Amino acid sequence: MYIPIIGALIGIIIGVFIPYDIPINFVKYTAIAILAALDAIFGGIRAQLDQKFVFYKFISSFFTNTALAALLAYLGDILGIDIYMGAIVVFSIRIFQNLSLIREAIFDRVWWHAGSDSKDKDI
Amino acid sequence: MRIKSWHLGIGVVSMVLGLLFVFQLRTEWKMRAVLPTRQVNELAKMFSSQKLQLEKYQNENEYLRKQLKDYDRDREIVRLRMTSGLVPLKGKGIFITLSDSDKKLKNYEDPVFYIVHYDQLELLVNELWAAGAEAVAINNYRIGNTTGFSCAGTTILVDTKRLAPPYEISAIGDPKNLKNALMMPGGFVEQQILSFNLKFSIETADEIEIPAYKGSISFDYAEPVEEAK
Repeated sequence: MYIPIIGALIGIIIGVFIPYDIPINFVKYTAIAILAALDAIFGGIRAQLDQKFVFYKFISSFFTNTALAALLAYLGDILGIDIYMGAIVVFSIRIFQNLSLIREAIFDRVWWHAGSDSKDKDI
Repeated sequence: MRIKSWHLGIGVVSMVLGLLFVFQLRTEWKMRAVLPTRQVNELAKMFSSQKLQLEKYQNENEYLRKQLKDYDRDREIVRLRMTSGLVPLKGKGIFITLSDSDKKLKNYEDPVFYIVHYDQLELLVNELWAAGAEAVAINNYRIGNTTGFSCAGTTILVDTKRLAPPYEISAIGDPKNLKNALMMPGGFVEQQILSFNLKFSIETADEIEIPAYKGSISFDYAEPVEEAK
């Protein structure tokens, strides 16, 4: 579980050393990209826990999700409606879902080990 | 530890996340420092659209300024005075003489066909306008914007001035064009003037003088309409 943390730390360090900030007009897009990245990370961890992780699927889903979200945000900008809220809601829901699945998977693993251990001890 | 594909994938995405996070935070801090309100996105949108508008107006302003610089009031006034016939004009053109027929009439011939009628004169002037004449005068009387022709016994009334034959019509314009337009085969002159043996001649001239319009120019009923922008 330390892989994402290490990755994020490397990213933050690189970010600190690159003196760049996002133009105000694009802040919305970055926010969505951050959410998409978070969603991708949680999704990836869950897939890994289910032993279903496929690298190309993971990367392509990350990029398509981000692109669609950016497109929605752009459309919203044109139409004057905050359509990107939809993307934010979907991403948030998925993050929470994935988080709960990850939690369950970890608990299952721990309890399964604990249970088997205790059973072994009991018998 | 062996690096697996999911390490790579999640690591890279996490890195992107960290990077974006820092950038976003930096922008956010900057924005907080400058803009205290929460409606930053709205303001940003407004700002960029206003900036576009400003650019548009600046361009328009520049264009109008240039036009203003190029605009010469005196020249405009001179042009308008020329158009309305308030100043005498001179220039290249043609000189037409039109007169009643000299033909000795037989008993059965109706003399009414062998004199110049007001409508012939009017149509002739019309032909001249159509051929690109810039100014026309008959017997030294300038044809203005509101000039009308009417029949007055043996004479022709142009506006309020009585004219008698021979009618001398001078027109400023491209002499060749004017002459060719009038002498067009099957045209007005051939059919309505030459066929009645009326005396008719055209000369081109390098300098024709046309006096100013002497009729009244007054507007009792008409008012200018403000041009819509």
